[in-house]
Amino acid sequence: MTKKKSKLLGDQRFIVLLVIIALITVYVIFSKEFRKYSSILSMLDFSYYDILMAIGVTFPLITAGVDLSIGTGMVCYALIGGTLVRNYNCPVAVAMLVCILLGCGIGLLNGVLIGIMGLPPFLATLCTCMITRGIGSRCSATPWPTLKQPGGWFHSIFKLTFGSGRGAFKFPIGIILMIILVLVMEFVLNHTRFGRYTIAIGSNKEATILSGINVKFYHVMDYVICGLFAGLAAIAYAAVTPTVQPGTGAGLELDAIGGVFVGGVAATGGYGSIIGTFAGVFVIVLLKTGLPYIGLQANWQQIITGFVLIGAVLIDIIKRKRAVAKQ
Amino acid sequence: MEKFKQNPIVRKIGFNRVVLIGVLIAMYIVFCVAIPGFVGLARILDTLNYVYFLGFLSLGVTFVIATGGIDFSIGPVMFCCALIAGYCLNMHGVPIGASILISILVGLAFGLFNGYLVAYWSVPPFIVSMASMNIGKGIGAVFTKTQSVSWPMQGAPGGSFRSIVAVNGFPTGIIIFLAAAFVCGIVLYNTKAGRYILCLGSNREAVRLSGVNTKKWEMLAYVICGLLVGVAAVFFVAAYTTVQPGYGDQYNNEAIAGCVMGGTSMVGGLASILGTVIGVVTISLLQEGILALGLGKDIQLIVTGIIVIVAVYADVSARRKKN
Amino acid sequence: MGDVILTMKGIDKSFPGVHALDHVDLEVRRGEVHALMGENGAGKSTLMKVLTGIYKKDSGTITYEGREVEFQNTREAQDAGVVIVHQELNMVGDLTVAQNIFIGREPKKGIRIDDKKMIEDSKALFDELHIDINPREKMNELTVGKQQMCEIAKAISHHAKLIIFDEPSAALTEKEIADLFNIIRDLRKKNLGIVYISHRMDEIKVITDRVTVMRDGCYVGTLVTKDCTKEDIINMMVGRVIYEEPKTHSMVPKDAPVVLKVENLNAGRMVQDVSFELRKGEILGFSGLMGAGRTETARAIFGADPKQSGKISIMGKDGQLHEVTINSPQDAVKAGIGYLSEDRKRYGIVVEKSITENSTLASMEDFCNGPFINKVKEKKAAEKYIKELATKTPSADQLVVNLSGGNQQKVVIAKWLVRNSDILIFDEPTRGIDVGAKNEIYKLMNKLVSEGKSIIMISSEMTEILRMSDRIVIMCEGRKTGELMIEEATQERIMDKATRNID
Repeated sequence: MTKKKSKLLGDQRFIVLLVIIALITVYVIFSKEFRKYSSILSMLDFSYYDILMAIGVTFPLITAGVDLSIGTGMVCYALIGGTLVRNYNCPVAVAMLVCILLGCGIGLLNGVLIGIMGLPPFLATLCTCMITRGIGSRCSATPWPTLKQPGGWFHSIFKLTFGSGRGAFKFPIGIILMIILVLVMEFVLNHTRFGRYTIAIGSNKEATILSGINVKFYHVMDYVICGLFAGLAAIAYAAVTPTVQPGTGAGLELDAIGGVFVGGVAATGGYGSIIGTFAGVFVIVLLKTGLPYIGLQANWQQIITGFVLIGAVLIDIIKRKRAVAKQ
Repeated sequence: MEKFKQNPIVRKIGFNRVVLIGVLIAMYIVFCVAIPGFVGLARILDTLNYVYFLGFLSLGVTFVIATGGIDFSIGPVMFCCALIAGYCLNMHGVPIGASILISILVGLAFGLFNGYLVAYWSVPPFIVSMASMNIGKGIGAVFTKTQSVSWPMQGAPGGSFRSIVAVNGFPTGIIIFLAAAFVCGIVLYNTKAGRYILCLGSNREAVRLSGVNTKKWEMLAYVICGLLVGVAAVFFVAAYTTVQPGYGDQYNNEAIAGCVMGGTSMVGGLASILGTVIGVVTISLLQEGILALGLGKDIQLIVTGIIVIVAVYADVSARRKKN
Repeated sequence: MGDVILTMKGIDKSFPGVHALDHVDLEVRRGEVHALMGENGAGKSTLMKVLTGIYKKDSGTITYEGREVEFQNTREAQDAGVVIVHQELNMVGDLTVAQNIFIGREPKKGIRIDDKKMIEDSKALFDELHIDINPREKMNELTVGKQQMCEIAKAISHHAKLIIFDEPSAALTEKEIADLFNIIRDLRKKNLGIVYISHRMDEIKVITDRVTVMRDGCYVGTLVTKDCTKEDIINMMVGRVIYEEPKTHSMVPKDAPVVLKVENLNAGRMVQDVSFELRKGEILGFSGLMGAGRTETARAIFGADPKQSGKISIMGKDGQLHEVTINSPQDAVKAGIGYLSEDRKRYGIVVEKSITENSTLASMEDFCNGPFINKVKEKKAAEKYIKELATKTPSADQLVVNLSGGNQQKVVIAKWLVRNSDILIFDEPTRGIDVGAKNEIYKLMNKLVSEGKSIIMISSEMTEILRMSDRIVIMCEGRKTGELMIEEATQERIMDKATRNID
């Protein structure tokens, strides 16, 4: 019993849950504004794309790699999709598909550069980060359609509105979608070969190769999955941002990556959980959207996220050092 | 070809760098032919303005890459330095000299922070870079309340600091930059610190087992980098006056591109200051040319990204062949 | 013993500069445990790597189950039923035991991996082998011994017909070895062929049916274990002919002062309660089998690895012993110790740098004016030692990567001579060095001690120990098991102590 108890306390996910509760408590106590339903709605709105990016980037991070291109990539896909809708009368559904495919494409590029050509992950994706940013600005001038325009239906993927006018009730269906995706990807990570080999690559790549596994394929696939989720994130991003601006998106990846590390992925790879990522990213989202409610400039969030990232990684490193010392 | 490679001057400079100089000259000629009005001093001076700040960034990151690490927080941190120092200058009437010092000190502080985490806590350098990048952006924005900051123009009080870039049209900056590169060369090749940095980038364990405090010297590389980033900030505002919070990412890539093109290996242990200088000039000319062609910043980003990928892949595959 | 399952005949394999296998023969029958013995570097592991397709043979034939085969990789060998349990563990630490055993061939239910079946199958496998391990546990939470058991279970689950154990007991405790032997006996009953590579004489007598001995890449002979004595095997391993004259008596005066005294040193499992003294002008040989804890002892003294307890005293300028605190190589170097690792490429030299840079690496302070390196002085020092040590190189600017093994070793020696370290720890000083260069290194070591330096020499080569040492410390399983003066030392006596289990 006591062992179980200490295990629970040692589980990073449990600690993260406590942090989330603590943050919410602080906000609720100090901000009247925060207690409104609309605040919760808007907080959720801005969490979707972070959650999606974070789910995706968990896979490269478990292999001890990283994908820095998800933030600018996401914006790039949203811009291209929006441009297609605006300037070329492309149906919104097709544009969404294009976002996803573009995401997979850039993911594949990253995967090939890293998994097959052997470039350091941070460098390869730093480059694709810049490249997607450039492509995004190149291909765009216009934002996605807003709700009032034809094709604006895609907003209701994330938020259902019942009724109209002032009395309209909005339901954040997006969060349910997120929970479903998290559960699906948790299943993929823990119960399929793809997930298993992802963990194996991060834990001991050499041994995985010697076990006769096509490591290159799975390594590339990790980045493709990450790109796929960046594509999904692009849709979520377009759905909540009034106008997608070219040239932005740099730095958004940190929110996602920071969330993943807070969620307990090992800095050296080999361990991670999507549910952990989900909880971790919520900490970041709460910091991002909640700080203004208690009178802190939004920019503080960037600083705090930076330190939270370092802190999360340091905790992991110290834990591992202790474990080694014990042996 | 072989004969050319064996030429003593070529060997001294390094074959790769001779090729790079060739590329640089060819590129300049192509731009001059292709773009009307590219010929002339004005373009060269413009390019040089770009060379200065990018050069300091690139010199700095050369030390870090020599240890086998990486720092891609340098661009945003440079902006952070310029923002904080400029804020002190404009809002609190800090004298220009002290402001420059503040800029350098901010850079130094980031260098210490990065170096300490990487060397003493073995936090992976890319994670530290990511964090610093955002901390830098955030601090810059918090200080200035998300306003851009302008440094004084030539002629205004304090504007005399622009003489570091140019005096009456003469590019004084080139002298300062080359002098700085020379000093960096001395540090890297002729001091104990440089020796240890290069050796530990090549084989950390062997250096540690020779009784060297590897952590200290690894940290020093990041500190030197931070210092040079602070200097780069001053050159940036001396050339371009205004800095905005939240930007600066693209210079990371350009600075790393300058390094890697010049023959500094991403794996660590091999670094060339001369190469970095030539690489930076090449990258700067390329950026200038792209703008002059009427193509935007976006194309700059894409081209630089591709260059880094190619240069790093060349380095990786050359090493693989060797083993 | 059943029919022959494997015959290897006239296997020949060369690497650049080394004739690793010189027409080696091996025959294994079903239902036998066949020991493969020899000193370090005799070629046992290489032979097994040729069998399982990791290396390609230059010539010779391999006949397995009646047909001639040449496996291209371990996977092919595995599919044919030849599996190897490696000395280094090949495990994915973050996965569970069951996941490791079935990695690459997970049973599936749709797209889902059938973990339940995997766990059940693992349990069945463990029951069959009488191993008590929870298949749900994570690999890196198990002891090394249990990890080894999992590796064996994994090998068996491949429907193996021939299992090769490459020094399986090196990391195991007594109890675990007993378990391992039970498993091996079971396997023998099931008519599997088993090749058992080990250094431990006691084990060979207990578990094996026949023993094949190799020496210097050559086949020496095959004996039936129960018909031969330990001494027979030792004689075959070390060879009757000794090429170099052993030292007959020590030149070190009996009253030579002690320069290094180590008392009750403990560092992990591999260094337990080690005490010894080193005298001025002496070469103290450290003998023992692989995994005896000699390198670990040296690294602990040198501060390269953390230690739990122990007292280290070093002779100061006043000629008295003073206790020193050594927590890092820095402290050790300051105290006058130099360490020459067995793995030069990883721990000794910076290969991409020049001879000069390597020579002065440990003593930069002496070549600096303030922060600046005095390159002229530095080069002079490097050149002085190139001459003194007769290092073969066109110039001091040559990159170390371009030197031969012997000359690289000289560069490392030069590094410590430049530093003027009084105590030098040579860890396998002639590993990977050809015969001619070996002699030069020996001469050099003798010269160094005659100049008043003191040397600890770790060596797995018996002839080297007998030729160079004035006194010999023998270790086994992390403990010091004996100490002999050179006058009383013989190969047999050393081997006896090195294979002795002290409890």
